[in-house]
Amino acid sequence: MQRRREAWLLIAPLVLFMVVWLGFPFLSNLYYSLSDVTFETLSSPTLVGVENFTAAIDSAAFWQSLWFSLRFALISTAAQIVIALILAIALRPLLERYRFLLAILILPLMISPALMGIMYKLMLNEFVGVVPQYLALFGLYPNLLGPDWVVTVVIVIEVLQWTPFALLLLLTALQAIPDELTDAAYVDGAKPAHQLRYIVLPLMGPAIALTAFIRFIDSFRVFDHIYVLTGGGPGTLTTSSSIFIYRAFFQQGRLGFAIASSLILMAFSLLLLWVTMRYVLKGART
Amino acid sequence: MKKYLYGASAFALATTIGAQAALADVTLLFWPGPESEAMQQVIDAFNEGPGQELGFEVEQLLFSRQGFFDKELSDLAAGSTEFDLALVTTYTLGRYAPFLEPLDGYLDADVSNHFASVALDSLSADGSIYGVPTDISVHFAYYRNDLIDELMSNPDWQARYSEIAAEHLGEARDPVAPDDWTWDDYIATALFFTQSINPDSPTQFGSALQLQNLIFNIMIWQSTLVSNGGNWMDADGNITIDSDAARTGLNIYQTIIDSGATPPGSLSYEFAEANAAFGTGRAATTLQWNAAFNIVNDPNEYPETGGLVGVAPMPAGPEGHRTHSHSLGIGMNAASENKDEAGQFLNYLASIEAQEIYAAAGGTPAVPSILEGMSDVRPEFPLIGQFAADYGFVINGGTAAYAVPVYEVLAQEFSGYWSGQIDIDTALSQAADGMAQAIAQ
Repeated sequence: MQRRREAWLLIAPLVLFMVVWLGFPFLSNLYYSLSDVTFETLSSPTLVGVENFTAAIDSAAFWQSLWFSLRFALISTAAQIVIALILAIALRPLLERYRFLLAILILPLMISPALMGIMYKLMLNEFVGVVPQYLALFGLYPNLLGPDWVVTVVIVIEVLQWTPFALLLLLTALQAIPDELTDAAYVDGAKPAHQLRYIVLPLMGPAIALTAFIRFIDSFRVFDHIYVLTGGGPGTLTTSSSIFIYRAFFQQGRLGFAIASSLILMAFSLLLLWVTMRYVLKGART
Repeated sequence: MKKYLYGASAFALATTIGAQAALADVTLLFWPGPESEAMQQVIDAFNEGPGQELGFEVEQLLFSRQGFFDKELSDLAAGSTEFDLALVTTYTLGRYAPFLEPLDGYLDADVSNHFASVALDSLSADGSIYGVPTDISVHFAYYRNDLIDELMSNPDWQARYSEIAAEHLGEARDPVAPDDWTWDDYIATALFFTQSINPDSPTQFGSALQLQNLIFNIMIWQSTLVSNGGNWMDADGNITIDSDAARTGLNIYQTIIDSGATPPGSLSYEFAEANAAFGTGRAATTLQWNAAFNIVNDPNEYPETGGLVGVAPMPAGPEGHRTHSHSLGIGMNAASENKDEAGQFLNYLASIEAQEIYAAAGGTPAVPSILEGMSDVRPEFPLIGQFAADYGFVINGGTAAYAVPVYEVLAQEFSGYWSGQIDIDTALSQAADGMAQAIAQ
């Protein structure tokens, strides 16, 4: 009984913090999501039940933005993990010898995504941008922010900025694999490909899953660089869920609808979290 | 020890009294940039002059420009008393109005004598003024004087122009001076100066349209709508966006896009990109905000066009030349605890003296007499006043609470049409539905 009381006492500050800083906003958001509320009626919202949730579910634009975010997150996460894994394995000896190289490699992480959008706006400008100038040398004149290329371009920007983050985590996981295991495999005649397939990748599995999860969630709620670069267009081609919610909330003044949409997305994210954590915990146990 | 405690208490008391005195000053919520720098000159003049007699000072509180209106709206809606005055605009006025104090009782009766009426109208809602105008914006049709002079005097160019108009617009046309451009003249000129259509054109493109999914780009496009007799809604409030006038307006842009007379990247253009296309000499004309004149006509910034830029009214439709006009202004927070002082500063801000200081510091006041008087240093100033007075319009519903949401809907749907994502019928039908939803909110 005494131990139980002590346990509660020890986690009390954290619980209090969660209740104050997360619980209250969550409950007020839940209330607003069930209400007809605008900026004018913030202090006197009218309860309308699940109307906002059904409106979000019935909204083609909501699903369109969700589909964009999903595609964006899946493709960019897969690209980041694959590239980071290759870099981690290929560059490990170099990075262990010259540690300052790692600091250089992770520089893109220091740049704010909004600034990234502004930088690429200049770099992709068809008249003064460096990228179209280089492409022109090869006789290529793609409209990089036009309907045919814009989705690819925003994914590439995401990959360029965040692959170093994945590299950092995967390199750490790689370095944590005991050398004895790979040495023993080598003595037993395992070729590098077999070592990778049967030792390195399985042991890095939880780290890869965790990195993929973090990057997926982060990419899924992408906002800054896309909003700065394309404004969510042309049309709605690059309107992510975050941009959709931002517009509904601030620009259309549909507060209840925007909050309901974000709660649906949160439920979706929690589902992913649950699946991933199960895998990570399972990996950790084995 | 006691000595230290007394000292600390005295310091705390003095700080508290000081803080209370500071709270009595008037705080203006603004954004950083040329407008707030010009406003600081006015504030300095006030603090050193009338403010001394009245016994209070004004200071600025600057939020970053990124998301400024969202933050401002959140604070106003929350009833913040941290600021007394705040930046208001034509298109956000309706949404802010419930949290703003009507200014009619604070301003001298003769205010309306010197401001352009379109500016006062654009900051009024339900018959009350909610903002003292500080800057006025209109649109110009920008062109290169050297190119247009050549076109108007070179018979070979004129013959080619006529051929291109006949081939692409189905009617042989002669070039006309920019001041008299109709939309067909503008399209014909844009086609003539496009190298893919006229290989001898000195510019690669004839126009540089701004087509990004952005509300400000719709404000520019609205000249095509209103000059063709269209509007968001009629006098009874019925939504009229799905109209022949809107179809004509959308197709004016689409013709320029389809014929390659605007850069392919135009779909992601806004203010800066259009300036770059025009200022680097790639585009012969552009439809742009008056604020661009000083930029593209500056030889240091754009050597290709510096000193060569001409401006004309937006091309005419059956209803003549029309330009969207909106104003920035300063309104009063309804939750302010210093309304009398804030009102006294606003009354000063509305004076000719303050507006002259603002103009000299780089602002564009909505006072035609001041704009006229500064033609030697800002040659475009008299035209701003003239175009605002002669061609300026505030779209029906443009100051209502639903204005920004409606602009958002139009930006999304029309950008979708121009990028080929949806057809014109779908764009207009969805625009009308979206407008109805935004208005119902």
